[in-house]
Amino acid sequence: MDNDYFSIDSILAENQKIQCTFKFDIPDMGHLGGGNERDIKALSKISIPMWLAYIMLYSDWADFVIPTPFGARVRNALKAEARSVRLSSLVGAGGLWYGFGKMIMDILDDAQAKEISDVLTKAFRGRLIEVIDQAQHFAALGPSGGGGPTGDSAQAFREGLDGTERELFALAQESAKRTKRWYEDSDKGRRS
Amino acid sequence: MSLPQSLRTSVTPPELELIASEQLVEIIPLVSMERTAFISGAYGPLRPPTKCKIPLWMATNLKLKKKCHIVPPDWLNVEFLQERLARETSQPEFSQLPFRFAEVAKVLLDVASDDLQNPDKLRFLLKDLREARQAKSRDGLDKLDHSELSLPNLSSMEINEIRPFFVRSMGILTQLVREPSAGLADTS
Repeated sequence: MDNDYFSIDSILAENQKIQCTFKFDIPDMGHLGGGNERDIKALSKISIPMWLAYIMLYSDWADFVIPTPFGARVRNALKAEARSVRLSSLVGAGGLWYGFGKMIMDILDDAQAKEISDVLTKAFRGRLIEVIDQAQHFAALGPSGGGGPTGDSAQAFREGLDGTERELFALAQESAKRTKRWYEDSDKGRRS
Repeated sequence: MSLPQSLRTSVTPPELELIASEQLVEIIPLVSMERTAFISGAYGPLRPPTKCKIPLWMATNLKLKKKCHIVPPDWLNVEFLQERLARETSQPEFSQLPFRFAEVAKVLLDVASDDLQNPDKLRFLLKDLREARQAKSRDGLDKLDHSELSLPNLSSMEINEIRPFFVRSMGILTQLVREPSAGLADTS
């Protein structure tokens, strides 16, 4: 999520497309749009990957629209109930919704960036407890108990976790498991 | 880094137990021993039946060889823990307990349960305490902030358990929250 050059996460988060509207004709680059045309015409809309979009936007060759994972529909859904939104389906499997959001936030002007930041922060806070609760629940199940009495909504939530949340889930689960193991084993054998 | 993934995030519970084993406990020795120098200091002399303070690791060792009785610390008894549990369940903040109570209690319950009064009851109380406190730290997650976190009276084992994901979540929040000061600098 950081903008570090060597951060793998940030490279992965860049692997998302945003829709740009070109302001000028760009000759001989039509293949980028996937069409048969030779040039990119002005005012044509093309989805280009985030890493390419930077230079386009900063050079003022194109404008972009806020991508659908952060559009009004998703925002409203998050406002209604953050835990019922499937972030992973918004950005593809293993996608980094928060990382992508952070990138969008960085290229927006201030008022809009604030808005996105609020959306991201609220969503993160709203979902965090559920992530940790489920992680601890799974840590308590032990190695064999896979399913357990979890409802469909819990499973849907787990499938909807984005990459960042998955990482948190794993951290919490591992730590809870480790602590539980310590509390439970009576290591008299080791001591005597 | 060459450390395995599981050791990078925080200290492991057995390591915490090792640290806690440096704490002094009172014992009633059953053998006599001259004052002996160890790396951490000199302990003894042991003169039964005079009480003596030695580190927990030494006490466990002697206890397993049946060469001493361990005098439980003043917080490890049913009345005290019951009172703390009542406080824990009735008040929003964490009640005050020794910083390494979980480790010390576990070691003593493991090796010296015959020196404790009502060890089973103690186990239950400690478990209840742990669960009550866990529920509170979960609530603390709700108030998580990107810049600070204050959970007074949390014990070492509890801090260690929540450290990996609390730290990570705070890191993520730091990235997501837009500082108002940065915003002001942009508009001016």
